Amino acid sequence: MLIPAETAIHRFRRDMTFGRLVKGLFVAAAVAAFVLPLAGIRLDPLMVLPVIACVFLALSVGSIRGSRLTADSPSLIAAGRFEEAEQRIDQALRSFSLFRHVKVVSLHHLALLRHAQRNWNESAVLCRALLGQKLGSMQGIGKPARLMLADALLEMGDVRGAGDAIAALYQQRLSLAEVLKLVAVQIDHQARLGAWPEIFAGVTAKVQLAELMPAAAAARTQALLALAAKKTGREDWSDWLRRRAELLADFQKLAADRPVLWELWERKVEG
Amino acid sequence: MQSSAFQSAATPADAAPAPFLDVPTLLESSQPRARLGWFWYAGGGFLAVVLGAALLGNSSEIGRRLVELLSAVLMLGLIVGMSVLTVVTVRNHRGEQQEVEAAAELVQLRRWPQAAALLEQILSRPSRTGALRSGALMYLGAVLARYHRFDDAIAVYDHLLEHDLVDPASAHGLRLGRAMAMLREDHLFDADRAIAELRRTTSDAGIDSAGLALVEMYRDVKTGHPAEAAAIFEEKLPALREALGHRVGDAYALAARAYDLMSRPGEAQDSYTKATLLSPLMELHRRYPEVEKLYGRYQAAPAPPEAA
Repeated sequence: MLIPAETAIHRFRRDMTFGRLVKGLFVAAAVAAFVLPLAGIRLDPLMVLPVIACVFLALSVGSIRGSRLTADSPSLIAAGRFEEAEQRIDQALRSFSLFRHVKVVSLHHLALLRHAQRNWNESAVLCRALLGQKLGSMQGIGKPARLMLADALLEMGDVRGAGDAIAALYQQRLSLAEVLKLVAVQIDHQARLGAWPEIFAGVTAKVQLAELMPAAAAARTQALLALAAKKTGREDWSDWLRRRAELLADFQKLAADRPVLWELWERKVEG
Repeated sequence: MQSSAFQSAATPADAAPAPFLDVPTLLESSQPRARLGWFWYAGGGFLAVVLGAALLGNSSEIGRRLVELLSAVLMLGLIVGMSVLTVVTVRNHRGEQQEVEAAAELVQLRRWPQAAALLEQILSRPSRTGALRSGALMYLGAVLARYHRFDDAIAVYDHLLEHDLVDPASAHGLRLGRAMAMLREDHLFDADRAIAELRRTTSDAGIDSAGLALVEMYRDVKTGHPAEAAAIFEEKLPALREALGHRVGDAYALAARAYDLMSRPGEAQDSYTKATLLSPLMELHRRYPEVEKLYGRYQAAPAPPEAA
């Protein structure tokens, strides 16, 4: 089972509009309960308001089901149980929810799933749809979505788009996990532009951050830093970083993913 | 005056500073506050309002109109009050959550003094939820282990595990930390039992735990079974690298010690070089005192001057 990105986005937008409409109706009904008696219509607010509250409560309880469905998706994705995650996300996207965050989080998780499946195009489309929404109190989700979008665009070769996606993040306060992701994406982006001195600037801090990344990201980041060191004439750094990268990942896989890195292992391959 | 003199004489004994990160005190003080039984108060209040309104409403036409007006105002007040209460509660909860997240980041960045101070502050008052308290206690365990207070760390981990306060994935991490702390404290019998339990749970779940492999390597190095440690290292290196990232340097360091004990200096040197490429020497010595014995006998990997 595969949820097409366009279908998910269409469903997401429709449900967001419907949710807004339902909430608007509740507000209108509550206001009307006070205003209509003043206009001479016999209506007891004491009778109407509890009914409105009960209906709201019932719909809220139903909406919590969607929240529960989305809660497990990230751990399922991390464990590589993609089909199960997809089922949960599909159910959450289909279920009715009064709360906007259920829909926003579900779409974000779908983008995350596609990213984990290396389906860069769909991941980027979903992230763009998410970022195109007014997120309001859910602004926090915009940061990982931007980072994911930039990463997906880099994988697709859209260097300019990736730069635009991360530009907005430089002014924002990020969590450590987001900083780590941003550093990895930024170095990858600058490497595509051939901005080697910029990559090597502040190398000590960048290396400290790379040490906190998962093995694959740490290896790629340090390999790109090693190449930047080589290009800027710091052979000592280049050699040290290259050897560290080799201990964290298979260098042939690293260079296959980022062909520019072959320059680090030319001699080894020739040998 | 006399009283004041007495007070100042009594001060040093009374005001002895509380020990830093005192585990029993923090476990006690961080317990979430018991919820007040608002239901019965609210029910009683509601009944009183209904009875009062019925009496007043039946007494006269003015009374009836007054009850209608007051009811509308009360209902509006209730809605506004509940909304304000919800906003304040959510804000306070978010504030505490951000504090725990900040502590987690400080632990990850190895800023131990700042992490310790923040955790002491968080755990010195009742937590809003059990989940936030459990999170803070997990990081407290890591900080205590870093300060070599392994018995205290074990007490924290035991508290979390015995009261079933964490999810299964976190429980696995805590059990690994507890086994490592037991080994550091030479509680070898307990450590062996803890490792056997870990092996059983991972095998039941069909998981190949890199963390467990590292703990077993340390146990074997510590108890003089270097061949077993080297065998684990050679078999599990790809998994260790994948799961531990830079901390695979720990496995290389333990492998170096194992090869050294087996009188295989070539392999010991190779592993020692790789370990020191990935982790600073001081850090490795702090984590595994056994590795310190290799210092001066093997060559550490050279690093650029700014990184050394």
